Amino acid sequence: MTPEEVGERLVALLTTDQAHSGEVIAGVSGGGPGHERAVVDVPVARWWEAAGSARDPAGLGCDFFDWLSAVDELEDGFTVVAHLWSSRRKHGLLLRARVARDNPVVESVVDLFPGAAWHERETYEMFGITFARHPDLRPLLLPPGFEGNPLRKEFVLAARVAKTWPGAKEPGESEAGGPAKRAPMRPPGVPDPNEWGPLKGKVPAPERPERPARRERP
Amino acid sequence: MLGEPIRFVLNWGRRYSLWVFNFGLACCAIEFIASSMGRHDFIRLGVIPFAHGPRQADLMVVSGTVTDKMAPAIKRLYDQMPEPKYVISFGSCSNCGGPYWDSYSVTKGVDQLIPVDVYVPGCPPRPEALLHGILTLQQKIAAEQSGPGGVSRPDPLAARDAASLTAPMVKPSAPYGSPGRTEGP
Repeated sequence: MTPEEVGERLVALLTTDQAHSGEVIAGVSGGGPGHERAVVDVPVARWWEAAGSARDPAGLGCDFFDWLSAVDELEDGFTVVAHLWSSRRKHGLLLRARVARDNPVVESVVDLFPGAAWHERETYEMFGITFARHPDLRPLLLPPGFEGNPLRKEFVLAARVAKTWPGAKEPGESEAGGPAKRAPMRPPGVPDPNEWGPLKGKVPAPERPERPARRERP
Repeated sequence: MLGEPIRFVLNWGRRYSLWVFNFGLACCAIEFIASSMGRHDFIRLGVIPFAHGPRQADLMVVSGTVTDKMAPAIKRLYDQMPEPKYVISFGSCSNCGGPYWDSYSVTKGVDQLIPVDVYVPGCPPRPEALLHGILTLQQKIAAEQSGPGGVSRPDPLAARDAASLTAPMVKPSAPYGSPGRTEGP
């Protein structure tokens, strides 16, 4: 089946009556010729049902669970994404569902795909998305006692607040002396210690070197 | 205190039989493996790879990204090594955190956990850089005061407090073997 047919098939499986028409949307993601993938957006209430239909041999026959993760969409909430694959019919499917930012709960698919257990635990600790009916929902990778959900966009990478950045990569900035000619570049999610944290407003502005005097024009 | 010839012989024996224990954590471990292979071949320098375990090793090469969750394992395996033991920090990540310095999970340098003898910079360093790091460590061993009962190597991290974790960078001192350098106790 082509990716378009895979998407249409799942939409047909999930749209059995008029009441549910239009809430399951199929599309195709890029990837180049021969690598397109069917993408099906389902409402979060039908997440488990959609995964079950995709797994059903009479449906799409996606027997292989590849991965499950999430995307932080800021004010739109989170998109939970799962990639399923049919090892017999050689077609894949990206299943997506949008959950609200306040109270993000998705139904677990562990009873359909036991391999999803660790993926759901990782998504739980990284994004703070709860998976209902998961048998053992606890952090997977983060060290014990870690607070926060590091893959959320609002998570602050506060290392520079506690310790000065040891890098010397900006032009004119090195251990050989001479202050920085410009403020150091900061990656996304890393606040300026002068604007966030206990040192807020206390960090002196970097000393700008004097421009060399202009030469006498002839 | 032993005489100079005996000290030289003891150190000569120790510096050329470094059983190395590779704490490979990321891509730098591949460069470590490359330097153990035929082209670079650090066995000719007396560095013997694939020690059976930390209890049989003299040198630990931490190559790769040290994460906060891996930190207890590194400390534990370092504590299992017998004295005298040496540590080479190989690559930017284990030196200071490298490109992952801002990360929520990466330790800002393995020297926050264990004392490091030689830092090899690079991301990843070339195998030649590891060879140079090994030669530097061997010069350091040769300058040590060994005697009956082994080598006195006080733990530089023993009297550490929380303030030292926010200390500025280590400044390089005079290179080994140069007249300006003072060695050991």
